[in-house]
Amino acid sequence: MSAPEMIDAQRVLTSRQMAIYRFTRNPAALVGAVIVVSVVIAAIFAPLLAPSPESAGSFVDFRNRHAAPSWEHWMGTDNVGRDVFSRVLYGFRVSLGLVVGVLGVAVPFGVILGLVAGYFGGWTETIIMRFTDIMLALPPLAMALAITAVLSPNLVNAMIAITLLWWTWHTRLIYRIVKAQMNEDYVEAAQVAGASHFHILFRELLPNCISAIAVKISLDAGFVILFGASLSFLGLGIQPPTPDLGTMVATGAEYMPEMWWQAVMPGLAILYAILGFNLLGDGLRDMLDVEL
Amino acid sequence: MTNRPILEIENLSIGFRAYGQYRRVLRDVSITVGEGERVSLIGQSGSGKTVTMRTIIGTLPMPPGVVETGSIRYDGRSLLELSKIERNKLKGTGISIVLQDPMLSFNPVLTIGRQMDDIVRYADSRLGQNRSAAQRRDHIVQTLAKVQLSEGARILDSYPIMLSGGMRQRVLIGMALLNRPRLLIADEPGTALDVTTQDEILALLNTLVAEEGLSLLLITHNLGVVREMADRVYVMDKGRIVEEGTRDAIFTAPQNAYTKRLMAAVPPLYGPDVVTIENHHTDPNPAISIDSVSKDFVGRSGLFHQHRTLHRAVDKVSIDVMPGDIFGLAGESGSGKTTLAKMTLGLIDPTEGTIRVEGQDISQIAGTADFRKMIQIVYQNPGSSLNPRRTITDQIAVPLKFTGHETSRIKTRVGELLEMVDLPADMANMYPHELSGGQKQRVAIARALSVNPRILVLDEPTSALDVLVQSTVIDLLHRLREEFDLTYLFISHDLSLMRNFCNRVGVMLRGQIVEEGPVAEVFGKPSHAYTRALLSAIPVTTDEADAMKPIVTKEERAAVLNPSTAIGG
Repeated sequence: MSAPEMIDAQRVLTSRQMAIYRFTRNPAALVGAVIVVSVVIAAIFAPLLAPSPESAGSFVDFRNRHAAPSWEHWMGTDNVGRDVFSRVLYGFRVSLGLVVGVLGVAVPFGVILGLVAGYFGGWTETIIMRFTDIMLALPPLAMALAITAVLSPNLVNAMIAITLLWWTWHTRLIYRIVKAQMNEDYVEAAQVAGASHFHILFRELLPNCISAIAVKISLDAGFVILFGASLSFLGLGIQPPTPDLGTMVATGAEYMPEMWWQAVMPGLAILYAILGFNLLGDGLRDMLDVEL
Repeated sequence: MTNRPILEIENLSIGFRAYGQYRRVLRDVSITVGEGERVSLIGQSGSGKTVTMRTIIGTLPMPPGVVETGSIRYDGRSLLELSKIERNKLKGTGISIVLQDPMLSFNPVLTIGRQMDDIVRYADSRLGQNRSAAQRRDHIVQTLAKVQLSEGARILDSYPIMLSGGMRQRVLIGMALLNRPRLLIADEPGTALDVTTQDEILALLNTLVAEEGLSLLLITHNLGVVREMADRVYVMDKGRIVEEGTRDAIFTAPQNAYTKRLMAAVPPLYGPDVVTIENHHTDPNPAISIDSVSKDFVGRSGLFHQHRTLHRAVDKVSIDVMPGDIFGLAGESGSGKTTLAKMTLGLIDPTEGTIRVEGQDISQIAGTADFRKMIQIVYQNPGSSLNPRRTITDQIAVPLKFTGHETSRIKTRVGELLEMVDLPADMANMYPHELSGGQKQRVAIARALSVNPRILVLDEPTSALDVLVQSTVIDLLHRLREEFDLTYLFISHDLSLMRNFCNRVGVMLRGQIVEEGPVAEVFGKPSHAYTRALLSAIPVTTDEADAMKPIVTKEERAAVLNPSTAIGG
């Protein structure tokens, strides 16, 4: 055994330093982070990055239709001659918009219900949690199809449908964490100190749920993209000519297998984004040491 | 030492590699246990005693653990060089271990019999023996008889949850003895149990060592336990053995400064070093007046919760705590002392009786800001009573914020409070995990004192702390009481501490106060058999104190205590 280097005066690592250490030693998490950042940049700067920004709309160029991938069109062109790569970049925009819209509503709603149910207990808990159970028992895709069919298919209604189903998971997660935290003395200590319910819910309990919420959001993002793409693929989500990855796969599927790039390229884009969010989520989970 | 050594640890140095840093946790540790000898390894938390134990039994994870130098020899064979298979053969048959927590050491969903049988069966197969199930069962029942569990057959069919803590600890010792080991390692035996049960467990271990010819390596933080359990003692501090010697040498003439400090920090139960606290107040109006208070808890069972059972946690308790008192409420787990404290804070309502704080019925004033300014609480475990995700300032500020302090004043007040409990001002922006246990408890005390309450309920405030840290926190509490004219209601199971910290005590047993009075009287002439049983069970650090402990007959003990050898209870 070679004598290892000695550090006698120990630097005490803070939990943040330990978390960052764990994250940076996790190649999968780093890959996930890089992918997510690239998707976000693509979405934000799509008009600057896209070789043919006009392809995002109802632009047609029949001379160039069904062109195979080339230097000029990295991912080929579609049935009306639009550049698939440009449409994929804009497609990330739509997908991320969906993620922000859905989670922006579903997460706060679900988290607040979970906090309230876990903290107050009793009848409040019974009503909230049983309602959550009922929502969870509904088959999500069938529900979403029903809602978008009734409300007419478009981006906003797709968001509403997914949001209505999504909050339940956050309620369950937060409820479980709060129930465990209620056994800790700091909650009672805050009560003895005269703290309001608002203070205990949002200043004492919520900070102890943040890591779990962050991990859950990251893992959720991938699934929301997939769910939105599924709806679009079935024709009940975002409508043409808006460049949506799911719609692009559906349209491109008609020209399979000869003009494969029209369906496969947007499909790979979906895979890329979801893989990124999932790897990042797993990395965050290991880094923040939370159980989901 | 005349005996042949059975375990020899020589110059053992061990380090851990974690988070890109390397840290050495054991430095040149050498320990020898002779055949039939009882050796104690004493140290505070983080001293490296558990790492030493885990290295001996081969359960230290490597990596991150790294053995730098040194050797461990059992019966002349070098353990660190043995193959895994050879080493496993020694488990249970050569070296056996009794772990600290009797609940965590069992699998809750298997019967005791199944878990013990597994141990015998695997040892048999490692040693190439073959016994029938009935033979193994006989052997197990015989072993249980050795640990004074006569109802062996019934215990084998029980699940761990059906046994009392004392019985589980006995079964655990029985498990360790199943394959007739020669060396028994006991890690804090009985620490998780009540003092009367711990006393029985220690006596049992001593008997076993004598009768079975075992060698014992006892790992503990409790000096009193060491005095009763050891022929020779090793004192460990920060990964080093700082002192080694026979029990008498260590206890009568410790050489090392650390050992001396450790000895001085243990509150004496009897003898010339005992401090008696007095209350010089003459105010005739009690600070807390508890008048025949009872509390029933409702248990529900059955598929539709249709069966109601009442459990009386506190039974017609009456106490007056006078201003300036440090009133100690003593009792073992489940005696109702914490329930009583929570009622005093208005957190739960009594089923019967009234509690007055400074003359006012708390059922009227609980929840008001005025009541919070009268009485506050310090919890047992600061790891749980401080929110891990909020800074020290944020936490101390909570009571201030909700008793109408101006936001601009809060920051200065937090600074004052930190100074009051001897914490540096730059801790204000830290999170609890950056502080040590003692520092965290100081923060909890500062938080309780932030609104200038006149009464503090102290719920075992030092039981999660090491004895050296405990004495500094106790000194702080004494100083604060003088400075701010406080009254304490102190809840604890540690009677030695109570003797030196309180001026009056009440002893609780199954929800009732069985004895109450000034400390000198209750400890000097205990009238109730339970008080005597409690006092006589406490491990003390001097022969002198041992001789002064009250005498309790077997019959008296049996009348007041739940035996740890019978099912139920």
